[in-house]
Amino acid sequence: MIEKTGIVDTLEERQPYITRKQEKGQIIPLACDNNSLAGAISQRACVYSGARVVLNPVTDAVHLVHGPIGCAGYTWDIRGAKSSGIETNRSSFSTDMKEIDIIFGGEKKLSNAIDELVGIYCPPVIFVYSTCIVGIIGDDLDSVCKIASKKHNIPVLPVKSEGFKGNKSDGYKAACDALKQLIKRPEKDKAAEKKPGVNPGLKKPRINILGDFNVAGDVWLVKPLFEQMGIEVIVSMTGDSTAKSISRAAEADLNLVQCSGSMTYLAKWMQQEYGIPYLTVSFFGIEDISIALRKTAEYFGSEEMKKTAGEMLETETNRIMPEISRVRERVKGKKAAIYMGGPAKALTLIKGFAELGMEVVIIGTQTGKKEDYEQISYSVRDGTVIVDDANPLELAELLVKQKTDLMVAGVKERFIAYKLGVAFCDFNHDRVVEFEGFDGFVNFAKEVDASINSPVWKAVRQRILKPEAVKSERSAGKENIKNIFGEPCAKECKDMAVDPEFLRQNEDTAVESQV
Amino acid sequence: MTKRNYATVNPCVMCQPMGSALAFKGIENTMVLYHGSQGCSTYMRLHLAHHFREPVDIASSSLSEKGAVYGGRENLKKGLRNVINRYSPKVIGIATTCLAETIGDDVPAIIREFKEEEGIGDDLEKDIIIVPVSTPSYGESHVSGYIKALDAVVRKFAESPESPEGPEKPKIPEDIEIMDYMENMEIIEYTEILEKEKAEENSQEAKNPDMKEILNRKLNLIPVESISPADVRELKEILAETAGDYIILPDISETFDAPLREELPKIAPGGTRLSEIADMPNSRATLGLGVVSTNLALKYLEESHCVPGHSVPIPIGLLNTDRFFTELIGIIGCPIPEKYQKERGRLLDAMVDMHKYLYGVKAAVYGDPDTVFSLTTFMLELGMNPVLVATGSKSRDFGKRIKQIFEEIRPELQPVILDGIDFDSLNDAVSECSPEILIGNSNGRYIAKARDIPLVRVGLPIHDRIGAQRILTVGYRGALELLDRITNTILEATDTFTVPVQVEPAAYAGQGEKDECIEGAQ
Repeated sequence: MIEKTGIVDTLEERQPYITRKQEKGQIIPLACDNNSLAGAISQRACVYSGARVVLNPVTDAVHLVHGPIGCAGYTWDIRGAKSSGIETNRSSFSTDMKEIDIIFGGEKKLSNAIDELVGIYCPPVIFVYSTCIVGIIGDDLDSVCKIASKKHNIPVLPVKSEGFKGNKSDGYKAACDALKQLIKRPEKDKAAEKKPGVNPGLKKPRINILGDFNVAGDVWLVKPLFEQMGIEVIVSMTGDSTAKSISRAAEADLNLVQCSGSMTYLAKWMQQEYGIPYLTVSFFGIEDISIALRKTAEYFGSEEMKKTAGEMLETETNRIMPEISRVRERVKGKKAAIYMGGPAKALTLIKGFAELGMEVVIIGTQTGKKEDYEQISYSVRDGTVIVDDANPLELAELLVKQKTDLMVAGVKERFIAYKLGVAFCDFNHDRVVEFEGFDGFVNFAKEVDASINSPVWKAVRQRILKPEAVKSERSAGKENIKNIFGEPCAKECKDMAVDPEFLRQNEDTAVESQV
Repeated sequence: MTKRNYATVNPCVMCQPMGSALAFKGIENTMVLYHGSQGCSTYMRLHLAHHFREPVDIASSSLSEKGAVYGGRENLKKGLRNVINRYSPKVIGIATTCLAETIGDDVPAIIREFKEEEGIGDDLEKDIIIVPVSTPSYGESHVSGYIKALDAVVRKFAESPESPEGPEKPKIPEDIEIMDYMENMEIIEYTEILEKEKAEENSQEAKNPDMKEILNRKLNLIPVESISPADVRELKEILAETAGDYIILPDISETFDAPLREELPKIAPGGTRLSEIADMPNSRATLGLGVVSTNLALKYLEESHCVPGHSVPIPIGLLNTDRFFTELIGIIGCPIPEKYQKERGRLLDAMVDMHKYLYGVKAAVYGDPDTVFSLTTFMLELGMNPVLVATGSKSRDFGKRIKQIFEEIRPELQPVILDGIDFDSLNDAVSECSPEILIGNSNGRYIAKARDIPLVRVGLPIHDRIGAQRILTVGYRGALELLDRITNTILEATDTFTVPVQVEPAAYAGQGEKDECIEGAQ
């Protein structure tokens, strides 16, 4: 059915998952949205991980993992999601199931653990995650949670995230199902005002931001933009959210969905259930922020709001432009690889890189769907490799073949890039600076610049010491030394990044990447 | 005080499969495959990559719902095929996870089937070697996973392939398993069963330990806990200068701390050579590092192959390194090289230099049982006061051993000793014992920050600082480095020398005038 592409040397069964950009209108010959292949070393985690990353930023919840210790241990405070208040979510709660619980069932331990945790933390909500083992031994999470809810008079919500029950996307869904139960039906009079333009001036327009996890404090750079436009952000799901703020979500007039992979399901449900429409947006990069603000203003139809948005965009853009232009000079023409968990981030990164004058040569995701890849395919230049559920060997080979200068991904991919002498930028849980909003984009640009233009890449060009080479370089490269410590100097810095020579580029592969 | 009996808050252990990966990754040309769902492999890869700052490839049989219901046989076989196809390893270590264990997959049987199908024989030299190890995540901790994996590897290479038992683990009857849980003595029970079996075997074969024929002059070195690549390097250096011929298992010095090479190899080069592992039963002795946990591989070599086993504490600190060298020299019968006498002298010199900074300083130490045991010994001999000594693993012997060492060195001290704890209980204990310094892995940073107690990072994981793979603690040099780090951390925390002096402006101005006057007078 699908022809083998042979872009990289990989397992035959993996070949359909790697392709190149297609022309608009053409169907993309890319397999995706399947379970990972055994032994292929997927970069994906499991259903539980999908649920955990979506829910974990709910700050005042107790996130109780019903399973053996590992599942909770490896995800302890993994998300990098900031809180403006309570930080119960940064602790790792587990029932630490042992052999005896596997034999006799873990329900009793779970219900006791819930009682204990309620007594100590008094949380407004408890999420109880099920893991592989719970699905196998058949603990009845629903009934334990139901009884506990009644007993403690707080929502104790089962998250059905048995690791083997699919892939990360199924975990997103499980998380959204739990969130659904937290959202309360607003009082009737409020629901009546849901249409745009109704009672303008009487009530502030209200929105939710879905699929922003406040990693490194992202949301705090985005919320003020809407507040300046006179819009109230009820809750951002789930970054810096609380049980209370989530419960009010149905009072919103509009949902803005950023991480579409994880939250579109919830947005659709809210539309159906509460009549709240949604827009898919992104708050990364100047262009996407502008689109997000303009679309929102347009939705509410207020001229004043549109004017404010326009003015704000102009001021902010002018404010950050000098810095962006400075970086652009230093990184333009460089080639980027994107490997993200979800497709939304991948798509918005394409635009972000364009704003920095860079081009994308590899783009992949762990959980993209057919329509996502189609959109991705239309957005990238010819020759770009598109890959679903990539593994380390494929990524390594692609990085070399596509002559990548910089990779954007998560921790597991970081060291592959580094070992190959490719610059790297973490856009996952591990970053410590915000990348969203205007200042976030400046942060991103600076990080890209710092990694691409670091003098270490010059040093790693010579991985084996050859005294003759050092001598000749010393006599020839006196001016170059100035670059390392001196002022930005785009032309010369360009040569300091990845040198194709040490990537051991074969002639034939070089030609192939231009096809 | 947050007393809990059921909920674990902020775990201080990792699960068994993690330990097996730490062991397998120190063996030449080896890939690890977790038989279970995809997440296990990804999370543990992430955890290890973050710590060692190296790419870590661990395969998974990626069990889906179908696999969970109908058994993971096909997934495991497919996983093996794909790993062989892409990585061409010589050894594949298969560690089970809780999912595979509970659905009851008979991994050794599946491997036998797979080998038949693929025409893989039992020739250790020519064929791919598949080593299964049973490591359900609900049993014990990463420490036992490590010990079990090493035991499985040694057995695989030492046992004749015709042996009907093969690499299979004898099944422990269920009632014993439950008892094990209650007492947390699984390893011990397990060993005893193996011992009994081996004893029977031995009696049949009528081997006599005194008749042991030494086929090589090598010395085996097997730790019971994962030590850092820098530690392995140091031990290798010591052994090279003393024993000359040695076999260290596992050797992560290159695999988890690889130099930047011209290209990125699929499997990191380095690790204990397979021919060496096969040669372990012929060695003159095995030196085991760690005295709290039972060293299964050492025991096996002793009981089944009559290789005398000597267990010493992990050589952290003066006393433990002395013990290590004494045992080593005792086995080999050569003098201690001058180099190490000098290093020891430098350590003594430093201990004298620092004794006043450290005396009576209250410390809390936590981590893996044997590492904690050795760290505690070191702190005691430095004059520090380890008020809180804790491990996340459940261990029958931990408390006993720690008490013993206090008796030996500072019987007047009354430490709080805890095993099987989580970080929340550690936090409570810290609040009670009020230590002035914490020593342990980076997960203690929350307690350190919240209570403003400095933390000296040792162990695994260390995710929030650079250089975890290069932290040296063993040998006299390791002790010296650790001593410097601990002392400087204390000095940094108590340093008042550079605190700005509160200056009163008026007095200052007056002083200035006076100076001018003096100047004028001159």
